Amino acid sequence: MTSVSATRDAAWKRWVIGLALPLLLLAVWQIVGTTLQGPRMPVPTKVVAAAGIMIASGDLPMAILQSLGRVFAGFMVAAIIAIPLGLAMGQSRAVERNVDPLVETFRPVAAIAILPLAILWLGTGTAAAVMIVAYAAFFPLIVNTVAGAKNVNPTLLHAAATMGISRLTTIRTVVVPAALPSIFVGLRIALAVGWTAIVAAELAVGAKAGGGGSGGIGQMMFIFYAYSIELNRIIVCMIAVGLIALVLDRMLRALMRASMPWEHA
Amino acid sequence: MNWRRPIANAGVYLRTMAVFIAVWWLVAIWTDNPILLPTPLIVLEAASELALDLDLFRQAGISFGRMVVSIAIASSLAIPLGLTMGLSPLFEKVVDPTIEVLRPISGIAWIPLALFIFGIGNALPVFIMTYAAFFPIVLGTVLGVRTVDRRLIDAARTMGVPQRTIVLRVVIPAALPSLLVALRVGVALSWTAVVAAELIGAPSGLGYAIQWYRELLMTPQVMSFIAMIGVIGYICDAGVRWLNRRYTPWAAAR
Repeated sequence: MTSVSATRDAAWKRWVIGLALPLLLLAVWQIVGTTLQGPRMPVPTKVVAAAGIMIASGDLPMAILQSLGRVFAGFMVAAIIAIPLGLAMGQSRAVERNVDPLVETFRPVAAIAILPLAILWLGTGTAAAVMIVAYAAFFPLIVNTVAGAKNVNPTLLHAAATMGISRLTTIRTVVVPAALPSIFVGLRIALAVGWTAIVAAELAVGAKAGGGGSGGIGQMMFIFYAYSIELNRIIVCMIAVGLIALVLDRMLRALMRASMPWEHA
Repeated sequence: MNWRRPIANAGVYLRTMAVFIAVWWLVAIWTDNPILLPTPLIVLEAASELALDLDLFRQAGISFGRMVVSIAIASSLAIPLGLTMGLSPLFEKVVDPTIEVLRPISGIAWIPLALFIFGIGNALPVFIMTYAAFFPIVLGTVLGVRTVDRRLIDAARTMGVPQRTIVLRVVIPAALPSLLVALRVGVALSWTAVVAAELIGAPSGLGYAIQWYRELLMTPQVMSFIAMIGVIGYICDAGVRWLNRRYTPWAAAR
């Protein structure tokens, strides 16, 4: 019993120590904010109130859902192209040698940089945003899939070949499971990058497309900045962006554990 | 030195890019709309014009300069913080939750608030890039310090080496590989953030130039600047990798 209470005591202490600094910073922010008395000065209590209003009215959940829908659409597009291509590149030296120059040439180009082209080709709506997410997610996915597909134990491949299993079946039953941990790393990075890219794309579309925006949390933030200057609400959006990033990552990690019990260590 | 392999590789690279450019050219002729998709030749002309004009290099220099300043600020804040966190468990317990709370909020999400605070100018992109580079460098430094062989520190302590010297001569060199990997991530993230920040809130730089030419519907110029972003991004990454090899040859990945 003593050891249980001791560990509980230690956990409790950790919480107190960990929460001390954030609470202190919040308190300082609240005090400075209220003493400065600016009409637009954001303070924690007002941020919480703004969050309540935005959630109750349904605006914030709607915007988040819209952005999430775009992220998943772009993410799927990237996965459908990058995973099969990456597997082929990892398994065939000829494919890799010929495709790799393209990947390496376009990889250093930041996804946001092609936003002007996306707007030009696809307009300021969902399609352009999906394209940016797909572009951003494509590179971490393909690089990690190639690495995973290359790392397959050659003995397993030889065994499959000896048993006369066709190339496609080999890829499905040997290569994919072996590459899965690496693919999941790619998926995690891609999801994080895609979520950042969607916020940037929506912000930039809201900022530069001349009002013809298309919703989403990024645009919501820009409207609060440009038209109504409500800093409390901007901060609510920022917190929401962070929380969603965290939840997405946790969900993917849970999926990873569920689909690969052998990788538990 | 055997030159056969690099030459063969360059040949494959050129062949792939030639196919890409041929496809691009055909699609461009087929769409027949130089605003939507100019031919490679028109883009090349626009790029050489911008290069002769030095505008291409001027904007690139501005963006690159901002990135160097941001990385310098981020490192000078993050490395001491990371070292202290790595060396003092209590300090880490106090500071770590705050960092973990802030980290998921991407630098780009700070743009509207930062626009309000700093206005349009140099300060905004520098702030956003510093923020973006800060977290990977802190975490990399902490990780680096944690992986330092305890026996080396104990040995130094036994010999009566003062704490300051231990940090400078034992901890930092041992943490360097992890730190440089973190620096690479930080540079990549801040270079991505610069484009977003300049696209929205800067009066100059590559992101601004892209936006400017897009509004004029000068697609060849837009493409030239996009290519420049890729080139600088590549050079930065190659630079940090060179630092990796030069200063931590025992740990360099490639």
